[in-house]
Order: sequence, then C-alpha cells, then structure tokens
Amino acid sequence: MNLKKDYLLEKADIALKEADVQGASQTEVSISLERMALTRLANSIIDQNVSENHASVRVLLYFGKKKGSVSVDTLDDEPIREAVASASKIARVSTEDTDFKSLPEPRPFSSALDSEDLVCRETAEATPEARAEYAMLAIQRAHEADKRISAVAGAISNQLEESVILNSLGVEGHQACTSANVNLTILAKDGSEETAGWAEDNRRDFRYLQVEDVAKVAARKAADGFGAKLLKPGEYEAVLEAPAAVTLALYMAYIGFSARSYQDYRSFLRDRIGEKIFSDKVNVWDDALDTRFVTPRLFDNEGYPKKKMTLIEDGVVKNLMYDSYTAGKDNVESTGHNTKLSGMSIPFSNHMIMEEGKSDVNELVAQTKNGILITHFHYTNPVDPTKGVLTGLTRDGTWLVENGEIKHPVGTLRYTDAIPRFLGELDLIGRYPELKSGSHIFPSLKLPSFRITGSAKG
Amino acid sequence: MPRVWDSGRMKDFTDTALETCRREGATYADVRIVTVRGEDITVKDGNIDVLSLTTVRGFGIRAIADGGWGFAGSHEISKKEIQDTAKLAVRIANASGSTRSKPVTLADNEPVEDEYHTRIKKDPFSVPVEEKLRILTEVDKRLGGVGDAIKVRRADYRGHKEEKVFASTEGAYISQTITWCGGGFSCVAVGPGVPPQSRSFPGSFGGDFSSKGYEHFEGLNLLENVQDVAGEAIALTQAPACPSDKMTLLLDGHQLMLQIHESCGHPTELDRALGTEAAYAGTSFMTPDLLNELRYGSEDVTLTADSTIEGGLGTYGYDDEGVKARRVELVKDGLFVGYQSSRETAALVGLDSSSAGMRADSPQKIPLIRMANINLEPSGWKRNEIIEDTKKGILMSTNKSWSIDDKRINFQFGTEIAWEIVNGQLGQMYRNPTYTGITPQFWGGLDASSGDDWRVWGAPNCGKGQPSQVMYVGHGCGTARFRDVRVGIMTEGAM
Repeated sequence: MNLKKDYLLEKADIALKEADVQGASQTEVSISLERMALTRLANSIIDQNVSENHASVRVLLYFGKKKGSVSVDTLDDEPIREAVASASKIARVSTEDTDFKSLPEPRPFSSALDSEDLVCRETAEATPEARAEYAMLAIQRAHEADKRISAVAGAISNQLEESVILNSLGVEGHQACTSANVNLTILAKDGSEETAGWAEDNRRDFRYLQVEDVAKVAARKAADGFGAKLLKPGEYEAVLEAPAAVTLALYMAYIGFSARSYQDYRSFLRDRIGEKIFSDKVNVWDDALDTRFVTPRLFDNEGYPKKKMTLIEDGVVKNLMYDSYTAGKDNVESTGHNTKLSGMSIPFSNHMIMEEGKSDVNELVAQTKNGILITHFHYTNPVDPTKGVLTGLTRDGTWLVENGEIKHPVGTLRYTDAIPRFLGELDLIGRYPELKSGSHIFPSLKLPSFRITGSAKG
Repeated sequence: MPRVWDSGRMKDFTDTALETCRREGATYADVRIVTVRGEDITVKDGNIDVLSLTTVRGFGIRAIADGGWGFAGSHEISKKEIQDTAKLAVRIANASGSTRSKPVTLADNEPVEDEYHTRIKKDPFSVPVEEKLRILTEVDKRLGGVGDAIKVRRADYRGHKEEKVFASTEGAYISQTITWCGGGFSCVAVGPGVPPQSRSFPGSFGGDFSSKGYEHFEGLNLLENVQDVAGEAIALTQAPACPSDKMTLLLDGHQLMLQIHESCGHPTELDRALGTEAAYAGTSFMTPDLLNELRYGSEDVTLTADSTIEGGLGTYGYDDEGVKARRVELVKDGLFVGYQSSRETAALVGLDSSSAGMRADSPQKIPLIRMANINLEPSGWKRNEIIEDTKKGILMSTNKSWSIDDKRINFQFGTEIAWEIVNGQLGQMYRNPTYTGITPQFWGGLDASSGDDWRVWGAPNCGKGQPSQVMYVGHGCGTARFRDVRVGIMTEGAM
C-alpha cells in the first residue's frame, strides 16, 4: 500500500522551519489525511452514498508560555507557511499560560505496531459497487429472516487514515490504519406494532466484515421484539450485551478517568484514586497497542508513545489518563492520552479493555431471576458527572428475563443510575463478542442491580 | 497558489463540476464550494486554554443517476480534482440506483441567481484577537475574584464565517456569506463536603450565539453578570437537592430552547419521520399519517421553522439545495401541521416545495434536513406575570444534561439551577434539578409562554447523520409554564 509518510513529513518540516523563522520557542505540527466512503441504507434501499477526501494541517506555536494554533486543510507549501505566520501572530498577542511546561520530548515508540500491518488495501480501495453488494446482501438476508421485516437501515463504510506528527523537540511519528464498519437497524412490523433490532461489526479488512451475521442478528432481534410490554420503574438485574457495556466504557473514560475532568471537578473519581469503587471482578486497562482493536495507535495526538496502563485492578481505581498539559499540572508523567477535539486538548481514550469472563450471553441470562436483557443504549448523557450518574435509553432489542428465561420483549426503557453503584457489584462477566466493536473492547456483563426510571409511556 | 475565491474561477469550477456530471449521465447535479473559517478562544483559570483559527475549504458534488443519489467531496479545489470527484459522485449514484425500484424525485424549485450576506455591523473576523482576549481575560479575572469557592472558571468566544457558492444543473447560482459569533462564561464552585456546582451565562456549553456581527458578543454584557452568576454557583453548594414530585414547571430561555430542539425540532424533520434516519438518530412519532390529526400540545403551543428571522443561527438566504429561506408552521394552536423537509422528502409526501431545510456542516458533507430556527410563539404573557400567576411550582434554568429516546417521546433534562415558586414568588434555590416527560403530554400541559423575554437562542452543536455532522441552529422562545411534570429524578440517597 502506497502510504505518504515521507511526503507528509516533508510538509510538516516546512511548517517547523517556518515556525523557527518566526521565532517560536516550541512548535508542534500534525498532518492527517482521511479518505472515507459510506453507503447508507434506509427503507431497504441505498438512500445516501458518499465519499470524502480530507486533509488537515494543524500548527501549534509557543513563544515561551504564549500559544496560538491554526488549522488549514491544504497541503500546498505557501498556505502552510501562512498558517504558521498566522499562529505566530495570535500567539504573540496571547497571554502566558502559567500551567504550560513543555511539549513532549521524543521517546521511543513501541515496536509492536507497524503501520504497514494496519493498512489493508482492500479496505482503502473498496468501491461503491462493493459497498452496494454488501448493502444488497444485508437487505436480502434481513428480509429472508422473517416476513415481518419491513425496512433495513444502516451503513457500510470504509476508511483510510494516515497522520504524522513532528515537534521542535524532536518528536517524529507516523501512523496509518484502515477500518471498515457495518451497522444495521432492522425494523419489523406486524399490524400496528413496530419493532427494531440492531447489530454492528468492525474490521480492519473490508472483505471480512460480517455483513450476513449482522443482518441475521439484527433481524432476529427485530422479529423477537413483538408483544412488547411495559415495565414499571424500579431496580432490576440487567444483562448488558457488549455494545451496551461499551457505552458505559466511553463515559467511564470521559467523566471518570480523564485527568481534565478530574482537575475540573467533573469526575466521579475525584479524590478516589486507590479506592475500591468497583466490583473486585472488574479489571480494566488501556492499551492502544493491542492489535485486537480495529484501529490501534502508536502515539497520542501530541506524539507521546502509547503503552499499556492499568485503570482498574480487582475493583480498585489505579490511574488517571493524562496528556502532557494535565500531567504538568499534577507533576506526573503523561500517559499518552492527548486527544484533540475542536481546538481543545483533553486526555481521553477509545482503547479501554475489560477482562472477559467465561460465559456467553445465554449463560448470563440463565443466571437472571428478574432482570432485563439489553442490546445497546441510545442517547446516554451524564446527569451528574461528579457522582458518575448517567441517563439513557434502551433500544433495538430489550427483553424481560425471569428465572433464567426470556419472558417477553419490553418497550423503550430509561435508566438513570450511577456508574460506581451499578458496577460496584457484578454477578458475571461474559466473553468478548464475535462481532467487533469499533472502540473499547468490553464483554457482556450481568449486573445485580440497574435502575430503570421511566419508559416510552412515562 | 491562485486565490480560489474569485467569482470568475468559482463559476469555472462549478461549470466544470456540473458539466462533468451531465456528461457522465447524471439527470441532476449540484455543487457547493465552501470556505469555513472558525475562531475559538477560551480563557480558563487564568490561562489561555484554546486560541485557535481554523479554515476548512473544499467542495461537495451531489448527483442523481440511475434514479439514485451519489455524493463526493474533496479538500483540493482544482479543475482536475473537481472532474475526478464529479465522476465519482455519478459512479456512486449509479451504485445507489441499483437498489431502488423508484427513482429519486425532487419537489419543484425555481432556480435563481442571487447572493445573500448575513447582516452584520462589525465583522467578527476583523476584530483583533487582542480585543476578544481583553474581554475574556477580564471576565476570567472577575470570576476568580468572587470567592475562593470558585475553583474552575472559563470564558469562551467563538466566531464562524462561511462563504459558499451553490450551483445546480437546473441553472441556480447562489453565493452566500453566513456569519455568526457569540460566547459566555461558566464556573464551578466547590464547598467542603458538598458536590461541586456549576453556573453559566448566558447559557451553558459555550454560551449564546447569533448570526450577527461582533456586536452580538459585545451585547452579551458578560462582565456585568459575573458577580451574580458566580454567586449563584456558590449558593448552589449549600442548596438542597431538587425535590421529587409532580408539579408545575417553568422553563426559561436556555433550557426551554433545548426542550424545543429535542422534542419538536427533531421529530418534525421529515427524513426522520420517513425512516431515513432510523439507523443512528432514530425515527419520529410524528409520522405523516398524523399530519393535521395529532394533538401535539395545548392550544397555546404554536411552533414554527423560520430561516428568515433576523439574528437566528438558522438564518440564511437559501438552503444547500438552493431553496429560498422561508417560515413554515410545524404546530399550530397545538395541532401538528407541518414538517421541515428537503426537495426529495417534500415530493414523497406531496408537498409543493420543501421548507428550505437542507444544510451541510462543511463542504464535504452531504446536506441533510437540519433545523433552521425552531420557535415557540409567545402566547400573550410576560415572564413576571407567569411567575406571579403560579401558586406552587418550580422554575428551572440553564441546561446541564439532556437525553431523549429514538422516537422523541421520552425525554429527561437536567438544569444548573432551580427556584421554588410559592404564591407567585421565587424562593428556595435547588441544586441538580431534573425533570422528565412524554412529549405530547408535556406540551399538552403548556398553559403560558412569554413574549417580553423572547429571543432567538443559538445552539451551535446539533449532531445528526452518518457520517455525523454538527450544525448550528436557532430557537426562539421566552419563558413557558407546564403543568403536572415529574421533577427530581435523581434522589440523593439512591445515588
């Protein structure tokens, strides 16, 4: 696969040299390329079908402790130099950031990852016709599964990302990877009743996307959703399938482990590092180098090397996620979690792993006396981040379980509950699913108690 | 590099795109060439947290071929890249068409040649960064001076300018410049043994925004409000938790606008109602068979989609299909009467024209039905009259959290602060207020909404689509009262 490492490094070097001419004391240049295509399904046809070709050059200049940042999306030399000049101009009029210590110094990256191994030509070059074939396959399999299937919605996509980072202290990094995704929401109708089911799969190699399995799983969930009953608010046992658990992982990272949230008094782990908050069955670590991820990473968004880090050990909170800025404030080392979002830098991760157990979802269900089986969540948001309270809704396949058997489907349920409470005890941990997540690797979970606070009827 | 934004070159580029699409077999095509400039400044805890300028430039081509849609975009604006991308757009359209039994049809639209520019007094991009920093730094400093309990403080400014050209094979050629800006401040107060509390002004998540010039940011009067708002954050650390009860609920501007956004704006997007957003964002309980049948709310509820109203974040001259901005009724006197639509969805339900609701957040994203300004028309009250008329209730202000189901029925919101109302007077302050409801029952309980504090609020971060996009939208509202609402979802002991 013909990657552009040398070309991108050459462009980044133009920016570094211009920053030197401008007199910057420290400079960081990151350049990324992204080619993405997505075929979107709705009502069992291809409804939208798009292709994008992005480039982004971001320069961050420091003059002592004053900083300025400019982003442009051209790789031409003159606009890159102009971006640096512009960053220089705004940095000079800014005020000093007394908390800034330094951009990262160069450190060796792990040899465990090679970009060439993470890039699959068949994914990068997947054609509109190939995506359309997958779309037809999904639609066909879904409708074959049950005659009540009324509509197939979802998306099939493929993506190639490549990026470089340079800084004036000597950091130099290049990484690239491909990813492909299929996600399907399948609707079914019987008379006036409508149901839905969902599943997704992610692979690095487009050819290995499990489109048929996703279609069959989502269609079965939709077909099994008829006869939904109401469920009263209350505390129930809950079996969270892996995608539901991944949603919780996202928020554990955002309002828990991010040092920025911690320092801003928005983390439920404030003053609780070293404390046993979770069930002793819970072991979670962060490891972007793990090649089980579809998109592993060699370094973070400021070129700091990725490495494995324990977050929770036997239920005890061990570490926070830092970048160089937040680490400087707490006088610790960066943990390589810098993530740039809309001009802001925060420590964050999409590479958390929870240790799996030995059971499959059926076994978790078999151990449930009075509970709910949940496919995934919709519109989860923090209600009180200082206590880890989240609210959200179930969607696309939720069932009441009694005495180890699935009794009947239930309609949309709202939960409002606190992470330390519902993960404070765990009955069982399942195995990782066959269909792969695009981010965190979490298994299915059986919770002894989960708070349902409402439903689609109130 | 030759300057891209030259009207002669623009026409040349758009002609190239459209001609290539025609030659490749497209029955319709349009092209947008767009430059988006952003300026983000945040001063946090005495330091500059963000000082960033961004420029995104590129183009996107839509085509209909073999009855299906294709779209392709690129950051590289050159004749060759445009030709290659146009060919790809048509190729993609042909691939889409293979799954359709009925071709895409578009509602009629008169193609025009026109231009539109947001009416501004001061171009925010001509105001020096130093001036913006001066205000933000002063706000930050005053926040820090309110008291030791203020542990985290931030002051934000954001500016946006979008220059775009739209052209279509129908003969449209429209150039627009859309400008908006705004900002605000927030702080977190921490007291011993109590959970931290935050307060923001004029709204949370960055503040308030308007499609006006820099005069809007200046008019927010941030400095004048620091003392009171930070004082409230400190007071909240001593305040009791919001009680759990069913009661009369008043919502003022910043929270009410998000309520309108989630429970009216989204369900009246016709693409959702027709099932084309079923993956990801969801569908809508407001299906076409319920048009002119569903009682959405009380007779005091009239909601409109208006892309013409001055200063709205969803105000423009033409949408990204070249349809002229307009005002459309969505709910009239409580009855569901209209949708926000595109040319395709309008044709699907037999409308003569779309609501001019299509926008893309950047050149390389496909236009989707996005809210313009979704407004709750006032029902003849003044804010203080509503409060004075309320025997027992609770007033909640400034959004803190939000969540709603995929059909837009069950919602739950949290706000930063609330006050008990007893016999028409604001009294006890409450922390961590939350409320929940079912959309038509909730809006059926509205019995008063004010006009004296009515303004168009700006929400710059509405997410939708696969791949996802973030759009800036507006909501006009004052203060409104709702009866019999379940409040206080979090109970202290339980969490």
